[in-house]
Amino acid sequence: MVPPRSSERGILEVKSLIVPPPAAKAVLDTTRRIVGRWGLIVALAALPVYYGIHDLVSGYPGFAHGHATTTHDFSYLGGTLVQGISNGSIWALIAIGYTLVYGIIELINFAHGDVFMMGSFVGAGLAASLGLGLATGPLGLVFGLLLTLIVSMLVCGSLNVLIERVGYRPLRSAPKLAPLITAVGFSFILQNVGLLWLGGAPAGIPDLIHQNATVIQISGVVVRRADVLAVGATVPLVVLLAWFVARTRLGKAMRATAQDPEAARLMGINVDTTISLTFLLGGMLAGAAGLIYALYETTIWYFQGFEAGLIAFTAAVMGGIGNIRGAVLGGLIIGIIQQLSDARIGPQWTPAIVFGYLVVIMVLRPRGLLGEETREAG
Amino acid sequence: MTAQTGPEVNGMKLALAQAGGKAGPFTVNFQSLDDATAQAAGYDPNQCQANARQAATDVKAVLLIGPQNSGCAKVQIPITNQAGLAQVSTANTYVGLTLKNPADAPGEPQIYYPSGKRTYLRIVPNDFYQGSDGAVTMAHDGCTRVAVANDKTPYGAGLATQIQLNKGKLTITGDTPLDPTAPNYRAYAQSLKGQGVNCVYTAFNPPGEVELIKDIHAALPTAKIYGGDGVCTNSVTNPAMHGFPASIAPFFQCTVATQDLPAYPGGRSFLAAYKAKYGGSSPDPYAIYGYEAMKLGLDTIAGLGAKGSDKAAVLAALFATKNRHSVLGTYGFTPTGDTTLKTYGLYKVGPDGNPLFERSVG
Repeated sequence: MVPPRSSERGILEVKSLIVPPPAAKAVLDTTRRIVGRWGLIVALAALPVYYGIHDLVSGYPGFAHGHATTTHDFSYLGGTLVQGISNGSIWALIAIGYTLVYGIIELINFAHGDVFMMGSFVGAGLAASLGLGLATGPLGLVFGLLLTLIVSMLVCGSLNVLIERVGYRPLRSAPKLAPLITAVGFSFILQNVGLLWLGGAPAGIPDLIHQNATVIQISGVVVRRADVLAVGATVPLVVLLAWFVARTRLGKAMRATAQDPEAARLMGINVDTTISLTFLLGGMLAGAAGLIYALYETTIWYFQGFEAGLIAFTAAVMGGIGNIRGAVLGGLIIGIIQQLSDARIGPQWTPAIVFGYLVVIMVLRPRGLLGEETREAG
Repeated sequence: MTAQTGPEVNGMKLALAQAGGKAGPFTVNFQSLDDATAQAAGYDPNQCQANARQAATDVKAVLLIGPQNSGCAKVQIPITNQAGLAQVSTANTYVGLTLKNPADAPGEPQIYYPSGKRTYLRIVPNDFYQGSDGAVTMAHDGCTRVAVANDKTPYGAGLATQIQLNKGKLTITGDTPLDPTAPNYRAYAQSLKGQGVNCVYTAFNPPGEVELIKDIHAALPTAKIYGGDGVCTNSVTNPAMHGFPASIAPFFQCTVATQDLPAYPGGRSFLAAYKAKYGGSSPDPYAIYGYEAMKLGLDTIAGLGAKGSDKAAVLAALFATKNRHSVLGTYGFTPTGDTTLKTYGLYKVGPDGNPLFERSVG
């Protein structure tokens, strides 16, 4: 046996010092596993459980007939959770675009939030051009909005493909910073297009769906039309996308390209087309999210993509970048945390709490809640 | 450039055009400096600084009119002050720019005047009066429990504090700083239900205001909603200008220093001239402030004769202004640079969706 050289001996000695004895290592591993699994669940459930118990035991304040009241039930918490889920559904749709693109070319597409903004602008503009208004009947509204949804998706999908073709494809083999900064450039370009389109002030649009109308009320928890729209549009789109990626030839090509583009090319997959398809799908979902957001918020402006993009990218990372289910989960969690924080802790603390959660999740599960699905992650 | 600053600049141009571009023996060159950038979604402090530097280093500049936002003034005043350049604002209402106020930041207002000499004046009454008038209006309208929301800007936070300081018999259930770029305020609005508020005061600027008002109205359909001069503009009140829906109009009121324009001395002729030059049914209430600021500058320069191009002389003459008969009424300046005007106008949403003068308060 060849004796190790002096430097190697040094390394071996240091290693032997920091490696714990087998019993201690087993305890450490078990603790780490328990904290990783249960700690995460505790962290995620902490706010709703705390406020649930608080509402039952101490009650939440109300005001009726000129007097302060205290109510002991789950309706306040339930209402907040419903709003969180519907808000989170929109973040999820945007987050999928980030996660798809990152999964396949490992690029943070900073322009994606602004493609979403364009979806809102196109949708609102087309709805106005079609004459959809508060007086439009239900049938006209359904068909009009369906047409608007399709057009928004097609426009945003095409826009995303165009951005990929013009800005990212020529930089495929360039250092990673080059496409990244190009993405930032496209983000600003789209923002300025939005600024020229509708001006600098937020623009209110007609409340076509009467978003605050109650659809159903269960034990005091009100579900509004806006909530039904957000969840009702998001679920089928996500299911369709998941089916497409998992079951179709093109979806398999996307997964193969994401795993190893060179191997995929050798197997006869047209990698460039597959990447364009990914941008098309991400853009279409951003277009759908843009229209839903416009109907949901009834206010749109050129800067909305920045904040929405930041939240959605955080959701994608939280859920596990490259992972579609993770993006959806991340979006829903952020939506719920935001609403809980806004309602209970104070809106001024919401960004800190959302990103605090992100830090906790990253520490406990560095690859996100459902794990990364990228080349690096394998 | 916003829905308020556009008409304001038009007002300045109108005054200059009426004077034939002259002030006494001098030809006046007016340059409009925009402090908004797309990225900042409103005024950008860096752009504010750049504008102030441009004015301060221009050897021929004798007066800087503006800016619109108090946050912008905070970074501009120290620059123009060190250059000894007079600055007249048409719209800054933040108290701490000129006066010591318990609610404002430490060191105010001295931190804005590094030369030790005052160089900044404003022709709009400050938020002490706007806050007081807002509180008086709410009490008059039967408000008892009031929630206050602010947009975290110096203007918004400062005005919200003034409402609290002048609350009188009102119960202020909370003063909540909100992110003006937040996608919505639903959870905040829902939380107001539990506070039993019957009125909400929004110390906001336009970004976020429309969404905030819609969410408050959705959660509290009968609550009255109030705002300051920052939101008393057609981009907030007029659905055709992408403001809130007409159904909310009966519940919204706002205050602006401008009173009933036709009732001002020279108000009717101003309105006629403005409409003839720029069209439109009714200009933003701030248009007349732009007009008066320019007239004040031109009259001051003209009154100095040959010394009208001396910025120190212009500064001294502006501070010496007393009993000036203007389209805003008769006013002068205090040694701190504040106008002696104190009254705010209360506006409701008119039939055309634009702010419509209702009555004077204060």
